[in-house]
Amino acid sequence: MRTNTTNRFTSMLAFGLLAASLLVSTSCEKRALEDLEPISFPANPDVFRDDFTPDLAYAAFGGSDVRAFQVDRAVTYNNSLQSMRFDVPDANTPTGSYAGGVFLSKTGRNLSGYNALTFYIKATQPATIATLGFGNDFGANRNLVTLSGMQVNTNWKKVIIPIPDATKLSAEKGLFYYATGPENGRGYTFWIDEVRFEKLGTLGAATSVFNGGRDTVISGLEPGDRVTISGMQVIANLPTGVNQVADISPNYFNFSTSDSSVARVDAAGVVTVIGPGTANITATVNQKPTGNTMRINAVGSVPGPVIKAPVPTRDAANVLSLYSNAYNNVPVDTWNTRWQFSTADNTFIQVQGDDVIRYKSLNFVGIEFTSQTINATTMDGFHLDIWTPDNTTAPNNFKVLLVDFGPNNVFGGGDDKSHEVTIAAPTLKSNQWVSLDIPLSSFTGLTTRANLAQLVLSGTIPNLYLDNVYFYKMSTVPSAPAPTPTYSAATVVSVFSDAYTNIAGTNLNPVWGQATVVTQVPIGGNNTLVYSNLNYQGIELGSNQNLNGLNFLHLDYYSVNSTSLRVFLISPGPVEKSFTLTVPTTAGWNSVDIPLSNFSPVNLNNVFQLKFEGNGTIYLDNILFRL
Amino acid sequence: MKTQKLSTLRNWFIAGSLWATGLLAFSACEREAIQELPQRNWELTWSDEFEGTAGTLPDSTKWTYDIGTGNNGWGNAELQFYTKRTSNVQLNGEGQLVITARRENFSGSAFTSARLKTKGLFEQKYGRFEARIKTPTGPGIWPAFWMLGANIDSVPWPQCGEIDIMEQRGQESHINHGSVHGPGYSGGNAKTKSYMLTNGRFNNDFHVYAVEWGADFIDYFVDGFLYQRIAPADLTGEWVFNQPFFMILNIAVGGNFVGFPTGATPFPQTMTVDYIKVYRQK
Repeated sequence: MRTNTTNRFTSMLAFGLLAASLLVSTSCEKRALEDLEPISFPANPDVFRDDFTPDLAYAAFGGSDVRAFQVDRAVTYNNSLQSMRFDVPDANTPTGSYAGGVFLSKTGRNLSGYNALTFYIKATQPATIATLGFGNDFGANRNLVTLSGMQVNTNWKKVIIPIPDATKLSAEKGLFYYATGPENGRGYTFWIDEVRFEKLGTLGAATSVFNGGRDTVISGLEPGDRVTISGMQVIANLPTGVNQVADISPNYFNFSTSDSSVARVDAAGVVTVIGPGTANITATVNQKPTGNTMRINAVGSVPGPVIKAPVPTRDAANVLSLYSNAYNNVPVDTWNTRWQFSTADNTFIQVQGDDVIRYKSLNFVGIEFTSQTINATTMDGFHLDIWTPDNTTAPNNFKVLLVDFGPNNVFGGGDDKSHEVTIAAPTLKSNQWVSLDIPLSSFTGLTTRANLAQLVLSGTIPNLYLDNVYFYKMSTVPSAPAPTPTYSAATVVSVFSDAYTNIAGTNLNPVWGQATVVTQVPIGGNNTLVYSNLNYQGIELGSNQNLNGLNFLHLDYYSVNSTSLRVFLISPGPVEKSFTLTVPTTAGWNSVDIPLSNFSPVNLNNVFQLKFEGNGTIYLDNILFRL
Repeated sequence: MKTQKLSTLRNWFIAGSLWATGLLAFSACEREAIQELPQRNWELTWSDEFEGTAGTLPDSTKWTYDIGTGNNGWGNAELQFYTKRTSNVQLNGEGQLVITARRENFSGSAFTSARLKTKGLFEQKYGRFEARIKTPTGPGIWPAFWMLGANIDSVPWPQCGEIDIMEQRGQESHINHGSVHGPGYSGGNAKTKSYMLTNGRFNNDFHVYAVEWGADFIDYFVDGFLYQRIAPADLTGEWVFNQPFFMILNIAVGGNFVGFPTGATPFPQTMTVDYIKVYRQK
């Protein structure tokens, strides 16, 4: 540097006292012997003014262009002799795809008398320098301070990086470091000059914070859980009045806990939960409180399932699975988007060797598959297995929200569709796996589902174990036989069942002019009655039946495409009465037990026919009267 | 601050003329070394130490308020809405007044702040007016401790006169400005001088800002250091500083003097006033 700014200042003053006041040197102060420390490091503030300071060495980062840095005589700040020039390579340059390195003091410096690293910077074009800072010593980087995303342009600009606590820098080797890549794939050049540590009176007092300065609360933690404090920053008001924020390492912080029986915190800012209760984690930097708190609300250990969720039985061809060991899963971007105000935390655990997602502190959680949205237009239902130890009695509930991004396949744009389904008791149960089969037709607001992108789970059960999340297509053919009835044979009059002796001589396909095609197929070795293209279909019993003393008509039915189905009892006259069955069946076989009293005025002493009316394809089994 | 000496005024005025280049600097050790000021004896006539319960407004027998946005942002295109809510002005319970400028939407303005005045409650001609203040900072922040002629309602500004004891631009918190406005020398043509810290900034600490005002002089001080003398001959217009003035404390946000606040201006910004003392010459 040819021209000394300080000298120029003072030469313009009428009185020359200022120069004297600025020439205070610590080197001429006398020290008592007892003040001597075993090692003392030079307090030289300069890193690069006109040239390398004597102890300075440069080392490039691995993978970077090792020739990115050169000393430059052509472009310098304020006519100084030399500056540092950095040539950022183009993307995919074989010799290195970015520029980055460390300027080290080989001996170490005592920088405890300064409050900032300052330098001037300019570039051949407007650019964003990814990282600039100090404290990187190619070792533990204990005192790292990093300015991220510094915007530079073609004019020289002074950069001030505040020191959070200079007493930590009594033997610092990491004097300066940088790393940045090309802009839009193209390289460029930037210069840095007059790199030095300064004691700036024009810099506001540095304050430091963790978690970005916010007060945070983490609830539902259990003994053994660990939380790593992040967002550590130093903030200092620049001479221009705006704040400069830089990221800093945990070493500047002294963390403490208000209750070490609840949570402990180590020097690296890792909080370990010890037991139930509440603890406040606070910190000081340079003896000054950060002013913000992280509250840990810990609970005792939360119970979880000891048996795995029921293994899905649906044919893989009919399933679009997001999470299940039974199927190949489609890509899911995240099982916890950590949206603002979501307190949910998730871990992936195993129950009896089966992978399960565990949510804690669930108020709501976003689950996203935006990068590859799901086309569920051919699907019929959405399945989840859930387990919660929490109270599930009303008004507690669990909600499932599906979001479709619409034809534009991106969030927003006015074409998004969504619908939320609420599950409550008695479907919702505590301490057992609950298999939810929700027909997509129940998501009435979800009028499109070709670009499903988000799933949001919410409700009042903060502890949730989740497994077997998948969309399914109802197979027109049941994948399993109807459940075998267990009623005592003595209390049953059977029309159609492999489990009992059926009424002899029954005609399962009387010619009543129906369009229905009747067949019988074995499903899992179990003979099953099939009505295809149903309009109506009769059954003529082999003999008239007196059902006095029996209470129910039992039948198992299955249909994924029927929208209407009724069953009739008929006594001579004919006197007939119908009972409406719920279709389609959404969770496999539907077993119903219809009180015979529902069929009044049919003469139950003398029943001789049954009839089904409706549409679609119906599978029927275990048609019987029982006690 | 009972006695002061002033003999090396010649040196001082040379320095003052250099200010035009914008590079003048003073450092702490110079003041003691070179300034000798004329002896003046002062007698306290009015003061506020701002004692009181935290969260309450200051003494209503001493202070009144300007509320709202004035006319064209109080004549300066200022952006704030002045209120007397305790969120904008209150005692802090430690013997200090705190004025807080906030970034918040309020009655159509994007910022709120407060402006206190002694108008109608205390007005004085001549004397020493001093305040110990820790100023706010940030681009577009404009704190001030100043005075207006008490006849402003009948004699419009600038004829009524204005004495600015402390004004700062938050983007240059190392510079303090002292000014007078009057007929022929108002607004951008005010008679003004600035006092700059070479390696420091006013908002980091409390500083004492004062004027000593007499029949034919107004002397400006920061921490007891005289940095400007204004005499009638220095003015390009009439000397209107021979009638009572009242005091004003405020933080303006934006405006012609300071420019717009930026997205990077830190909010809230506070001006903390430890005391105000007014003396008359014995």
